Amino acid sequence: MVKLKFLDQPPRFLFFTGKGGVGKTSVACATAIQLADAGRRVLLVSTDPASNVGQVFGITIGNQITVIAAVPNLAALEIDPQAAAKAYRDRIVGPVRGVLPESVVKSIEEQLSGACTTEIAAFDEFTSLLIDSALTAGYEHIVFDTAPTGHTIRLLQLPGAWSGFLEEGKGDASCLGPLAGLEKQRSQYKAAVDALADPKRSRLILVARAQQATLREVARTHEELAAIGLSQQYLVINGILPQAEVAKDVLATAIFEREQNAMASLSALLKSLPLDCIELKPFNLVGLDALRKLFTPAVSINTDSDATSLAIEVPSLSKLVDSIAKDGHGLVMLMGKGGVGKTTLAAAVAVELALRGLPVHLTTSDPAAHLSETLNSALENLTVSRIDPHAETERYRASILASKGAQLDAQGRALLEEDLRSPCTEEIAVFQAFSRVIREAGKKFVVMDTAPTGHTLLLLDATGAYHREVSRQMVGSDVHFLTPMMQLQDPKQTKVLLVTLAETTPVLEAANLQADLRRAGIEPWAWVINNSVAAATVHSPLLRQRAANELHEIETVANRHAHHYAVVPLLKDEPVGMERLHEMATSNY
Amino acid sequence: MSRIQVFDPALCCSTGVCGVDVDQQLVGFSADVDWAKQNGANIERFNLAQQPMDFAENNLVKAFLERSGEEALPLILVDGEIALAGRYPSRVELSRWTGIALVEEKPKSGCCGGNSSCS
Repeated sequence: MVKLKFLDQPPRFLFFTGKGGVGKTSVACATAIQLADAGRRVLLVSTDPASNVGQVFGITIGNQITVIAAVPNLAALEIDPQAAAKAYRDRIVGPVRGVLPESVVKSIEEQLSGACTTEIAAFDEFTSLLIDSALTAGYEHIVFDTAPTGHTIRLLQLPGAWSGFLEEGKGDASCLGPLAGLEKQRSQYKAAVDALADPKRSRLILVARAQQATLREVARTHEELAAIGLSQQYLVINGILPQAEVAKDVLATAIFEREQNAMASLSALLKSLPLDCIELKPFNLVGLDALRKLFTPAVSINTDSDATSLAIEVPSLSKLVDSIAKDGHGLVMLMGKGGVGKTTLAAAVAVELALRGLPVHLTTSDPAAHLSETLNSALENLTVSRIDPHAETERYRASILASKGAQLDAQGRALLEEDLRSPCTEEIAVFQAFSRVIREAGKKFVVMDTAPTGHTLLLLDATGAYHREVSRQMVGSDVHFLTPMMQLQDPKQTKVLLVTLAETTPVLEAANLQADLRRAGIEPWAWVINNSVAAATVHSPLLRQRAANELHEIETVANRHAHHYAVVPLLKDEPVGMERLHEMATSNY
Repeated sequence: MSRIQVFDPALCCSTGVCGVDVDQQLVGFSADVDWAKQNGANIERFNLAQQPMDFAENNLVKAFLERSGEEALPLILVDGEIALAGRYPSRVELSRWTGIALVEEKPKSGCCGGNSSCS
């Protein structure tokens, strides 16, 4: 067995963090099994919404510590952040349901439905595991498949966040809302944060894939958490294509080279961390046998050199665009978690529409800018603009701090600054910048590589509640009246395309985004599955196996989630420039 | 000293920055409340999103919500009676209710002190 650095003399608490789909739950499970196999008493804590820990061990776990009979020394616990947030909402809203007007109750519920609420509610569940207690006394290691974000930890560290809050019981700190009304004492949260920041007790393991975008994001997480004292960090790069596959396949060669390039250009910051690489496996990481093999090098599977393509018959992006084009104009928004390829797909949709002779404005938040540059002046009827999310967010923050924070004292100002670092702030700032362009959608196509979440839209709509009032009074009259929310809700005017990958967690995350949009009365029009190996032509046995594994996810999307869908194959080259984007949209059936 | 109760709409925080549009008045008012408290005022704020029971248990507030809806908030009670609704009080108004003297610089123009409630 390969000696892994992050498993060398592990402290009591191990946290795995990384974006959805990088495999942190699998790595956490495999870690817990390995430690338990070595005779340590281990508790595995999962917050993965896919909740595949139970599935992995073939038992139902749920929200209580459950002994895993198949692995001596191992117990597991699943925390469902959504359920924790819901329990919190029910505690607050339950007593006033039927007492206060229905519209008021709805508004309260919406305020408590944001990402912050979920995150803090989950952290609250963590707290009891991080402090000394009878509950966890028997475990030498507690392995978490997630870690709190910098935003959460910083809020908990701010004295200003507490002074007015838990002590007086009156809310000041926004995102700490869910902690009010809970019985836990400040000392407990402080103890939990202290444990997190103590290298003797805690180790943070950043999990990534060998992709530029993912590695950039991990570098940000690393810096953010290091800045608040989580100094002991390790990096695990998961799912690297083994060199042995290269000889068998052009696509495999291209992937291998791309990954090695990404590894070679690791930032100095990440290079300074202890690094472990885990090879891509041909099998799904379900079941004990599979997980025990995760940390071992791949055994070359049958050298079946069957050259026939596995490529399946799935609708291409171009087919979707045919339907979009029929409307002649409108807003097309691509939505999905980071790293699924929204910007590239937005560009492909824009190019396809433009090639059909339609007027198109593509607006992206592409940080690299090269995409917009290669497309500018490619076609007469295609204009490209770009906003910088970082700059927009900074401008928004600066303007608020200057105008609104001017009168605050140091503590109040620190708190306002932290509030402005909430995940909602960036979304709002970026969406405000984009909304200047949305108006054009009445005359031409506007394609955007982002969309606001349902939660943000509902808050937006609440602040513009008078719009609803006006539109109600106008029913029956023939005056044309339209609110931004109505524009987004009308499928004739706005089409939301959800972008995902053909893997369990990304599909589940996209389904959650869909549920969130539905809450706001917006029905995503289509799903796009990006980077599909199944839709590509592959010969490498490993990739062919991966392709076969994708079929189930594609079926789930097609049958259970999507009204319309398209599959975009994994490409040999990065789709830059008009020709390659067009190729990408039309390469399958 | 008079007891001032402020019933806020459902805010994710008292500064409202998590909301879609930061309300200048809200941030200013938060500062005014701090100022008044430091001068010994008895002011309590209730956030509809976090303390809805305080709204439900006060008949005056509950009736106000039923009649005018959440859009009509904030509602300010002084000694249990409605003193102001639909906007936040200025520092001048806080001063009148609490008897705390205004020693701040005079407003440049017009009707209200420090903050922008009448701008």
